[in-house]
Amino acid sequence: MKRLGIISLFVLLFIGFITIWHFSYKQGLEEAYVPINTEESITLIPSEKGVFRRSEHALDYAKMPIDEEHQRSLVEYYENKAFHGAPPSIPHEIVSERNMGGVSCLKCHENGGFVSKFSAYAPVTPHPEMVNCRQCHVPQYTDKLFKDTNYEKVQAPLVGVNNALLSSPPVIPHQIQMKENCLSCHAGPSAPKEIRVSHPERVNCRQCHVLNNKEIKDIGVFKRASNE
Amino acid sequence: MYTSLNNRRSFIKKMATLSAMTAAATMFPGIIFAEEQERNLPVGGDLDWKKSPCRFCGVGCGILVGVENGKAVAVKGDPNSSVNKGLLCVKGYHQTMCIQSKDRLTHALVKKNGTYVKTPINEALDLVASKMKETIEKHGKDSVAMYTSGQSTIPEGYVASKFMKGAIGTNNLDCNARLCMASAVAGFLTSFGADEPMGCYEDFDYADYYVTWGNNMAEMHPILFSRMLSQKNNRGAKIIDFATRTTRSSMASNKSILFEPQTDLAVGNAICYEIINNGWVNKSFVEKYCNFSKGLTNMGYGLEDKYKFKDKPEKINFDEYKAFLEDYTPEKVAKYSKVSVKDIKYLAAIFGDPNKKVMSLWCMGVNQHTRGTWMNNIIYNIHLLTGKISQPGNGPFSLTGQPSACGTAREVGTFTHKLPKGVVMNPKHRAKAAKIWKVPVERIPAKPTYHATEMFRAVDRGDIKFIWTQVVNPLVSLPRTSRFRPGMEKESCFVVVSDVFPTPTSDVADVILPASWHIEKSGLYGNSERRTQHWDKMVDGPGETTPDAWMTIEVAKRMGYGDLFPYSEENHAEEIYNEYRQFHAGKKHEMAPLEVLKKQSGAIWPYVDGKSTQWRFNAKYDPACSNGKDFHFYGKPDGKAVIWQRPFEPAPETPDKEYPFWLNTGRVIEHWHTGSMTRRIPVLHKAMPHAYVEFHPDDAKALGIRNGENIKVTSRRGSCTLPASINERGLPTKGQVFVPFFDENMLINDVTLDAFCPISKEPDYKKCAVKVEKV
Repeated sequence: MKRLGIISLFVLLFIGFITIWHFSYKQGLEEAYVPINTEESITLIPSEKGVFRRSEHALDYAKMPIDEEHQRSLVEYYENKAFHGAPPSIPHEIVSERNMGGVSCLKCHENGGFVSKFSAYAPVTPHPEMVNCRQCHVPQYTDKLFKDTNYEKVQAPLVGVNNALLSSPPVIPHQIQMKENCLSCHAGPSAPKEIRVSHPERVNCRQCHVLNNKEIKDIGVFKRASNE
Repeated sequence: MYTSLNNRRSFIKKMATLSAMTAAATMFPGIIFAEEQERNLPVGGDLDWKKSPCRFCGVGCGILVGVENGKAVAVKGDPNSSVNKGLLCVKGYHQTMCIQSKDRLTHALVKKNGTYVKTPINEALDLVASKMKETIEKHGKDSVAMYTSGQSTIPEGYVASKFMKGAIGTNNLDCNARLCMASAVAGFLTSFGADEPMGCYEDFDYADYYVTWGNNMAEMHPILFSRMLSQKNNRGAKIIDFATRTTRSSMASNKSILFEPQTDLAVGNAICYEIINNGWVNKSFVEKYCNFSKGLTNMGYGLEDKYKFKDKPEKINFDEYKAFLEDYTPEKVAKYSKVSVKDIKYLAAIFGDPNKKVMSLWCMGVNQHTRGTWMNNIIYNIHLLTGKISQPGNGPFSLTGQPSACGTAREVGTFTHKLPKGVVMNPKHRAKAAKIWKVPVERIPAKPTYHATEMFRAVDRGDIKFIWTQVVNPLVSLPRTSRFRPGMEKESCFVVVSDVFPTPTSDVADVILPASWHIEKSGLYGNSERRTQHWDKMVDGPGETTPDAWMTIEVAKRMGYGDLFPYSEENHAEEIYNEYRQFHAGKKHEMAPLEVLKKQSGAIWPYVDGKSTQWRFNAKYDPACSNGKDFHFYGKPDGKAVIWQRPFEPAPETPDKEYPFWLNTGRVIEHWHTGSMTRRIPVLHKAMPHAYVEFHPDDAKALGIRNGENIKVTSRRGSCTLPASINERGLPTKGQVFVPFFDENMLINDVTLDAFCPISKEPDYKKCAVKVEKV
């Protein structure tokens, strides 16, 4: 009797083991479920990805003495862009026509630094995760045009005129898509001198500086239903 | 904090001004400085951002165009577009700059005594209509032809088809998509009976491997390549580059495998052999959902005029297919493909691993191939044998070159054999078209006439006496332009060219019509992932520029077909789209309504019950599946896809003693096709001012060629002189040279061969034999 009990206990245990094993095996075989996207999502506010990137360098930026000999100006900054907001072209020679950013461009443009060859500081990219750099940034091999053009560059925003009140923090006068990371252009030795921030250690830039453009969808002017 | 003395000084100055102003404000409370401040607020805030698909490639990125005072001043990526999620490429960012070019065609030009005379557009259209009518009366309907584009909008393609096939009653309508996507179409139709990819771009987010077949995506489909790169960096997905030339894509891939031109057919079959030989076949999938067939072989290459071919499919069984593959063991194939046995087995093992999701991607390397249809079939064979198809992250993905090669050329059907739904050979399809077009069914001829290459041969022979080209530049883009340029210059053919800029094609025109550019008209495009996208007119075009669709309609009206084109000038794009949608009603191809397309960045067809169908033929996602099983290839009558037995056959012209090099042609990231737009964009022209001929360093050394030296590239058909480029943008395999075709000053297509795939009639721009010499 006792023997039978032990045997049946083991049989039960074995059956239990088989069932559980089978179940979990089947579960493992099942493909991950991919949800069906019904509605295309519409973002209402601009992306904030990468806002805090480089903030670990903020204190270094704050302490760094200014190398006035080798500063960029805002005019220079806008010079190699076809329009305000366009990806800048590459103003120097390129080592390889085929390499991806990770092995060439990012060596200098991820963190910047002084380049004696050009006697300048390498600008820092706000989006180092995108490594096919030359998808958007191209060198300029000639000054000549294929055909003349009437294209006129739109004036880029001026500095020092974009705070709404006397002492209020200036608004952000430009598009921030692809350049959500403020510090890459507004801090450090490669930042154009006119737009270099005086307080890089306050890394939460958009706490005080807000956007001023129609990046978000215009929902029209709100009108009160009654005059009360 | 700042340690600069200058800065401190200016800060104190600023503070002084500020305190003075504050003092003033307290003394005179009425003074408002804020208004003055706001007046100077940057102009950027007034920009209106309007959505559209990009003008250039088949990826179909969403763009936002910044419009100020009626001018397009900026472009950025649309963050709401699921295609590109806010990113663009250098062409995309600068696209609107071309419309400001000083040599823009702003008025109609009519050739009188050898010079072009500025003519009011109405008179020019009168002339076009009367010439067309006169030619038809004298020489019959089949003496007039129209050649359009995969860059035509959906409404433009639709009215061209209705005009030629429904109103006039001739099938003399073909388009440049014949030169880029015809093999993809033939591949889809023979394997699945339904055109266009089953998957969508979301596949990139799930795949473990991306195998790219003869495809330099880093330059040609940069946005999709960036999606792959981000998956590679974040998730460890792997990119395998299988090509004849080392490119940026090869540099970014995990493994680059080079092969001898044309042997992709053999390598593909060797992969199938390995899959079967190693027992990696997904047996239940193949049994339930696949048939086996073979077609004719030794088809020829269409080099002679009036070449005809019709495939005869014949059913076979699995064992016959297996026996056929015995000729393609990795050991045998390695000998002539120059791909090592190890690499072939590596490729096969990727597809064979049931736990890995694999995407195959290809574009012109596979399509512009004298056996392009076969090569498409072979890639599908690999995916069908392993059951890796129609599932998220798993599937063959045929990429498109042009922004609406899918939407217009393939879906509307601006090919000689096509109708908006189906083909002219099918009486039911003709009846459907006749009903919607409200024309007698007898008017639509049942026999296809000229495909692109043959159309221009017919112009040369004098069979076609009137041709109208729209959105296309054939005298740069056709193969063997050395024959077709003199052909089009002949007196026997009246040539009408509609374009935005002067091109080598408009140089031979009798009438040049000024077309509106992309954002100067409303329209719709359809991209590679079956996504239809709409845009509204954003700016006015200069002078008398007119949308292409409207010019077609105006000519049709003048020829007495006005009642077939009852559209309004302001709203014709929308009215035409609504009429066109009727053709595709039903679960298999329903197009999204305009209201939806206006709201969001496009929708993927079949758009059923307010939902895009992301994976076709998979019952989980596709409501058109009706056989009760997991998969239903409903394009074929028995619901089964076809695995085709397709052998390796050599290229029509291979390097020999006299012409010892392969010539491969293609594109570069900076320029779009024939460069008529991108060369007029200063940034792009400055980045890539002219074409070049690429050499392998060993070949260059043997010939004593140095970088930048002028080289004459000559074939049996013509020659072209370009500067040499050694080990720069691309690195062709030894014995091969590569030339981009965008440069109208260095016409490499004078050199290429007009051989084509007998099934799809798509020419092979990637392989012919040339010799090179220093000039």
